[in-house]
Amino acid sequence: MRARRIWSQFDLGLFCAVVLLSGAGLIGLYSSAAADGSTSGLFLRQALWLTLGMLACLVALSVDYHFLVDRAFLLYGLTLITLAVVLVFGTEIHGSRSWIRVAGLGFQPSEFAKLALILALARYLSELGTNYLQRKHLLALAGITLGPVVLVAMQGDLGTALTYFPIMVGTVLVAGLRTRFLIGVLILTLLVAPLAWFTLKDYQKQRILVTFDPDLDPQGVGYQTKQSLIAIGSGGITGKGLGNGLQSQLGFVPEIHSDFIFSLLAEEWGLLGGCLILALYLYALLRLVSVGESARDRAGILIVTGVASLLSFHVAVNLGMTLGIMPAIGIPLPLLSYGGSSTLSFYLALGLVLNVHSRRFVYSDNLIDLGAISRG
Amino acid sequence: MAIYQDNRGYIDRLGWLRVLFAAMFLLLMGRLWYLSIIRFEYFSKLAEENHVRTIPLVAPRGLILDREGRVLAENRYGFDLAFFREEDPDAAATLRFLDQGLGWDPEALQERLQAAAGQSLYRPVILKENLSLDEIAYLLAHRTERPELDIFKRPRRDYRYGGLAAHSIGYVGEISREELLLEAYEDKRPGDLIGKYGIEKTYNRHLTGADGQQRVLVDSRGKTLEGLDLAPPPEGRPLTLTIDLDLQAAAEEALGEDSGAVVAFDPNSGEILTLASKPSFDPNRFAGRLSLDEWNQLLDNPDDPLQNKALQSTFSPGSIYKIVVALAGLEKGVVDEKTSVYCNGSIILYGHPFRCWNSGGHGRVTLVEALQHSCNIYFYLLGQKLGIDQLAEFSSRVGLGQPTRVDLAGEAAGLVPTAAWKKKTTGHPWYAGETISVAIGQGPVNVTPIQLARAIGVVATGKMPQLHLSMRESAGRPSQTEVLSGLEPQHLKLVREAMWRVVNLQGTGYGARVNGFDVCGKTGTVQTISQSTRSKLSKRKAEGYTPHAWFVGFAPRDNPQLVVAVLVQRGGSGASSAAPIAGRIFRLFREKQLESAPPDPALTQAGPDSRATRAGGGH
Repeated sequence: MRARRIWSQFDLGLFCAVVLLSGAGLIGLYSSAAADGSTSGLFLRQALWLTLGMLACLVALSVDYHFLVDRAFLLYGLTLITLAVVLVFGTEIHGSRSWIRVAGLGFQPSEFAKLALILALARYLSELGTNYLQRKHLLALAGITLGPVVLVAMQGDLGTALTYFPIMVGTVLVAGLRTRFLIGVLILTLLVAPLAWFTLKDYQKQRILVTFDPDLDPQGVGYQTKQSLIAIGSGGITGKGLGNGLQSQLGFVPEIHSDFIFSLLAEEWGLLGGCLILALYLYALLRLVSVGESARDRAGILIVTGVASLLSFHVAVNLGMTLGIMPAIGIPLPLLSYGGSSTLSFYLALGLVLNVHSRRFVYSDNLIDLGAISRG
Repeated sequence: MAIYQDNRGYIDRLGWLRVLFAAMFLLLMGRLWYLSIIRFEYFSKLAEENHVRTIPLVAPRGLILDREGRVLAENRYGFDLAFFREEDPDAAATLRFLDQGLGWDPEALQERLQAAAGQSLYRPVILKENLSLDEIAYLLAHRTERPELDIFKRPRRDYRYGGLAAHSIGYVGEISREELLLEAYEDKRPGDLIGKYGIEKTYNRHLTGADGQQRVLVDSRGKTLEGLDLAPPPEGRPLTLTIDLDLQAAAEEALGEDSGAVVAFDPNSGEILTLASKPSFDPNRFAGRLSLDEWNQLLDNPDDPLQNKALQSTFSPGSIYKIVVALAGLEKGVVDEKTSVYCNGSIILYGHPFRCWNSGGHGRVTLVEALQHSCNIYFYLLGQKLGIDQLAEFSSRVGLGQPTRVDLAGEAAGLVPTAAWKKKTTGHPWYAGETISVAIGQGPVNVTPIQLARAIGVVATGKMPQLHLSMRESAGRPSQTEVLSGLEPQHLKLVREAMWRVVNLQGTGYGARVNGFDVCGKTGTVQTISQSTRSKLSKRKAEGYTPHAWFVGFAPRDNPQLVVAVLVQRGGSGASSAAPIAGRIFRLFREKQLESAPPDPALTQAGPDSRATRAGGGH
């Protein structure tokens, strides 16, 4: 009975938007495989990951999110331990020791840490009961966030470590800061940012500068950005057609399967295809806000906030990079880029959101359990 | 836990995210619109100017070495003209340019373009291989006018000794449409070079390196801006053959202008030291493209240079077959050491006269003497007693009529006739009279030189070796399997005694004699037409039907180290043309052996002495 009620509240629109985006990613992978037989394996593997992702999404939907929030600190602790273990025993790929191999598949625990962080922040804030945060609360939140950030940064994966901050920033803003606090933080940021500049390594500075002038480094970082812009710009309104994106297919655009998949799609599908993808993301994000607004408790709101912050940050940074308005930071485009752990973790996050949505009218804890779902 | 909380503040602040998201997407869409509408012309032009050319990098094939590490096949670099089709697939203007500037036939070039029609436009088409210096100079001078043309440096197979051992080493060539469909070549693409013949074909995978490709960024004038991946493709693995270049060269030189084959191998290991077939061909001619004329020349040659006569052609074994008949007689107990026959030069069997080659007759001869003098009469009678099926059984025991499964393709099986075989192929029963000519190695029995050599190996050691051309460790093959023939050592010893006499005591094999190296052997002369037909022909015409000459042998008699088989087509008699060739090889082998490791003096002294006494006792 209750299980059926959960399903009747399933947010089909959000789910469809996510699946459509994944489909676009698959088509992109397929298209890039057409020119060069070596990547057709990626297409099949990504299809496998997507299937796993949808299953994971259903699992995340079935368990009442309160059950997870109750155990958020336990999950958080286990995550930190896993990250530490990977740091020592993990496999190094592309310079970051962030991989473990399970059953022939490579996993990046740092992707799943995002979910643990979302749950941990939601748990902490939902218990406060205050309407505005105080300094000690902020310090605690920063502490919770810095745990995985430090470990993942030590693994050498700065891009992923960076993605934990927007989760905290988003939840903190929603949890409420007094105006003077907000202004204080802004001023502090403005002061610290120039100082941070001097702590950056040369290649990191270069990446930021190149965003504003690709010709600074036409062979390196600038080359990537420039080729991406040429790919997108030469696509025109309707694009060059599936499999005809020469800029991308011929290997001008680097990392075409992961970080620069949007360049390929925009080149082949043109402005129309690109706008369709943007519209799907915007729709998904707006749906997330609506789900958050309708959630029945703070934990639910905060979970949705964390997911929305994470998703929007990824989309903004990745698309900003491919469109040449943000520094080149190698983080994937959610749901479109090739990547197993990333796909799985976004589908798990989607599951959490659908979970919150489905239980917005339910006024009791642990109303259902897994057994009920499977019987229903 | 379900405490009621006032969430209104949370919900209000969450709502602001809508504004943030909307702004963010407005910005992104605006940027997308700006790039693909406002800057469309600009980026389209850049995209057109931007070319990545994929240049296939052909990995050099592994070296092929002889047993002493001398290079038989290596790589040398040549320059090819490549055409990039992406802008202009018909290439009409380009072909006109090449016709006017260099006088190249546009039709031939057009053919090449058509052959590549189904391939990706981004794979360049090779228009011409092995450009001359003049051609390169001309093309470089016009480089900026013709950005679609580029010159590639590519490794090409170079066979240092030309036609020497060409049938064993083989050659490489462009993969054919049919070969592309085979599973063995599934990673190959049109235009790739593969081993087509010989060792090059058998060990193609071993010798092939990993072809790679290099992507280079070129501007609209075809000028290379930068290379994107520069790792050179890994070279193929080297392969050491069992061939001894010195022996091989001696064999081919000894055969000279004659057609024929020489096989020499170590009966203990099965390692082939010489595998010669004449006439030969120059495998370097195949390394690029062979013109139709060149092909036809090779195909039309009546001596068939492309045929490896050592293993692809079959011949009657002639008198060599008497060795097998003798063994069969001994093993079946039909004859023993003492059984003798009186030869008066001819005999009438089944109402037909059968002649001995010595029309005066050999007188009374034992089995050993009959083999030594190659008396036909003795073997007519022995063959008659044994019958065709027992002859066939023993032929198979020494491996006749069966391929040796040497590591070269296209080996012929030969034929050992049986009654059942005749019934099956002609529908007629086997007539006993037919056995008579088979008993002296004429008639339907057919063998390859390598098979016959292996059979002599069995006589020499009592074991059937697995012949091979590649050093095992080098090709990663399993260790050889040796099969015991199951022949009685005492019987083998008798046959060896006879073979020793053939070479060393007034026999037909005198030409193969080597001092201090106890060669044993047997000659054979194979009629290509019957005596009666020959007598009807004019002298000039009869020359075309000069008999084939055989010599097979091994040395030394005890602990044999080398087996040699020589076939000279239309060579006349085995004694005059084949035996001396074998002699040269035995002698050279012996000399090399003495040079590299002088044998124990006690052994060399004892050898000839003991033999002399034994030989004397035999007479």
